[in-house]
Amino acid sequence: MTRIFAQLRLGLVYGALSLAAFVSIFPFFWMLVGTTNTANDIIKGKVTFGSALFDNIANLFAQVDMLQVFWNSAFLAIVGTILTLAISSLAGYAFEMFPSKTRERVFAVLLLTLSIPFAAIMVPLFVMMAKLTLINTFTAILLPSIASVFIIFYFRQATKAFPHELRDAAKIDGLKEWQIFLYIYLPVMRSTYAAAIIIVFMANWNNYLWPLIVLQTNDNKTLTLVVSSLASSYYPDYGVVMVATVLATLPTIIVFFLLQRRFVEGLTGSVK
Amino acid sequence: MTGLKLRGVRKSYDAVEVIKGVDLDIAPGEFVVFVGPSGCGKSTLLRMIAGLEEISGGDLFIGDKRMNDVDPAQRGIAMVFQSYALYPHMTVRENMGFALRFAKKPKDEIAQAVNEAARILELGPLLDRRPKDLSGGQRQRVAIGRAIVSHPDVFLFDEPLSNLDAELRVHMRIEVARLHKELATTIIYVTHDQVEAMTLADKIVVMRAGVVEQVGSPLALYDDPDNLFVAGFIGSPKMNFLAGVVEQDTVRLPEFGNQSIPLGHLTHPPAQGSEVTVGIRPESFKRGGDAGLELTIEIVEHLGNESFAYARQSGGQMLTLATENGRSLQPGQRIAARFNPAQIMVFDKSGQRIR
Ligand SMILES: Nc1ncnc2c1ncn2[C@@H]1O[C@H](COP(=O)(O)OP(=O)(O)O)[C@@H](O)[C@H]1O
Ligand SMILES: [Mg+2]
Repeated sequence: MTRIFAQLRLGLVYGALSLAAFVSIFPFFWMLVGTTNTANDIIKGKVTFGSALFDNIANLFAQVDMLQVFWNSAFLAIVGTILTLAISSLAGYAFEMFPSKTRERVFAVLLLTLSIPFAAIMVPLFVMMAKLTLINTFTAILLPSIASVFIIFYFRQATKAFPHELRDAAKIDGLKEWQIFLYIYLPVMRSTYAAAIIIVFMANWNNYLWPLIVLQTNDNKTLTLVVSSLASSYYPDYGVVMVATVLATLPTIIVFFLLQRRFVEGLTGSVK
Repeated sequence: MTGLKLRGVRKSYDAVEVIKGVDLDIAPGEFVVFVGPSGCGKSTLLRMIAGLEEISGGDLFIGDKRMNDVDPAQRGIAMVFQSYALYPHMTVRENMGFALRFAKKPKDEIAQAVNEAARILELGPLLDRRPKDLSGGQRQRVAIGRAIVSHPDVFLFDEPLSNLDAELRVHMRIEVARLHKELATTIIYVTHDQVEAMTLADKIVVMRAGVVEQVGSPLALYDDPDNLFVAGFIGSPKMNFLAGVVEQDTVRLPEFGNQSIPLGHLTHPPAQGSEVTVGIRPESFKRGGDAGLELTIEIVEHLGNESFAYARQSGGQMLTLATENGRSLQPGQRIAARFNPAQIMVFDKSGQRIR
């Protein structure tokens, strides 16, 4: 009797897991299938591979300057990630390593700003950028994000596990503060950096709303904007949209798999 | 070889003063141990010598040079930390050579210094491992090796053995002593463990609450403590302290049925009727002493080579007796605990020794 129950339970568990796996994997599968089918087939709900892949790719490249768009996205994501990590990890390190009452208050205010939704500051931010004549520039995209409160907070928390005596040892070995950060802190915290790279890179790569407002000419558009405009055109060619979507998804997947192991270490907070 | 001089050295954090004016002379090549209860300021004082904490007041000389405002790396010191503080992303070899590499020393000079340190500490087989692949004792040896490589004038140790288990601690203690013999460098060593202090030091500095209570050789502190605190801190098991009242040439002990013990050996006997504390070391109780206390044994501990007996007069304070021939002692037994009255120490009400 109990054996039957045990098997039943196991069956249920596997059933539920399979369902969850299906739900999360099917969109990817459908995306891949879609790249090989015509718009008509996709609308009909065809889930088998077709033969329109090369037509779709050719159409996409005919409609959009893909090289430029890809470069725009890559540039913004990579430069944005580097700048954000440089500024925000330094800030997080400093908040934890050099505590003072004033800094504690500044930090509390910073944390409060986390509760303000982006939509609320979007208009003032736009006005600011307009006054600085930065509309339709990459600077306008990069500037507001390089001091990321969330990343500062994340690095401050992670720095709590960084032994203070390492800093003392480095000082005795003759390192200046900036050298301690560069030669000791950075390599010791590489898992934390890996996790932060993934988070920031994905956020930058997928950034939609702000670029949509700020980037106005076609030669400045990012991949996310292009996918969205393809999908929302009057007669969307879904085969082409699917190809663009695959191209838009690939870099995040690659970054994630490259840094996966460190990402998990970074989130579980291990200083080894 | 380099000595140190501290003159009125102070440290405050905001309004709180944690080092309250320390004067100290350390001779070249001397092994000095700072000892005291946790929180008394030993680490702070050591870190001020290292340059890791600013000095709020007073002067620090290393050699002949005033070092108050000199960078840690320029003070000619090396430090070994309680947590070892090895760089986790470097191998043992890289850890030990880091300071030299950073100072842009030639490669072969670094390799030679690292190999020399590895030889002294028998670290050869570990050189290419990461700290996380080492045991606690090995990490500590690497930390010491890293300190040796830079050929400092002064070694600073902050409780280097307190993360090790008891057996390893004894082993490493001997290593440290051997190292001092071999290198003949000035060493300042911080510990809260008075056994470590007694066994390692040429000179012990006993600290309490930011103040130096007494400085002296281990045996001088044991034989001739200046005050109650030092008397209680040095020696294991702890010295017995008995409350007493001076009457003529004797001290009457109310807690011990008003028995009294002679005070004849004091050159400056305290005033009649004054309250004093009498100190008797557990190992001072010996057969055939001229004075004695009637006691009842409550608990006996046999360690093999010696025995500890805990004894008192009913309801009174418990005394510790240590003896090498106490195997026949039994709980409940009534004894006359004999001792030589010249060996007792007397302290006044403020805890200062009366001699
Ligand atoms: N950064 C600091 N800020 C404020 N007080 C401190 C700081 N570091 C140490 N103290 C205080 O100084 C005293 C001495 O500390 P420490 O030197 O670490 O003691 P020990 O090493 O003898 O155990 C302690 O009371 C401690 O609370
Ligand atoms: Mg300490």
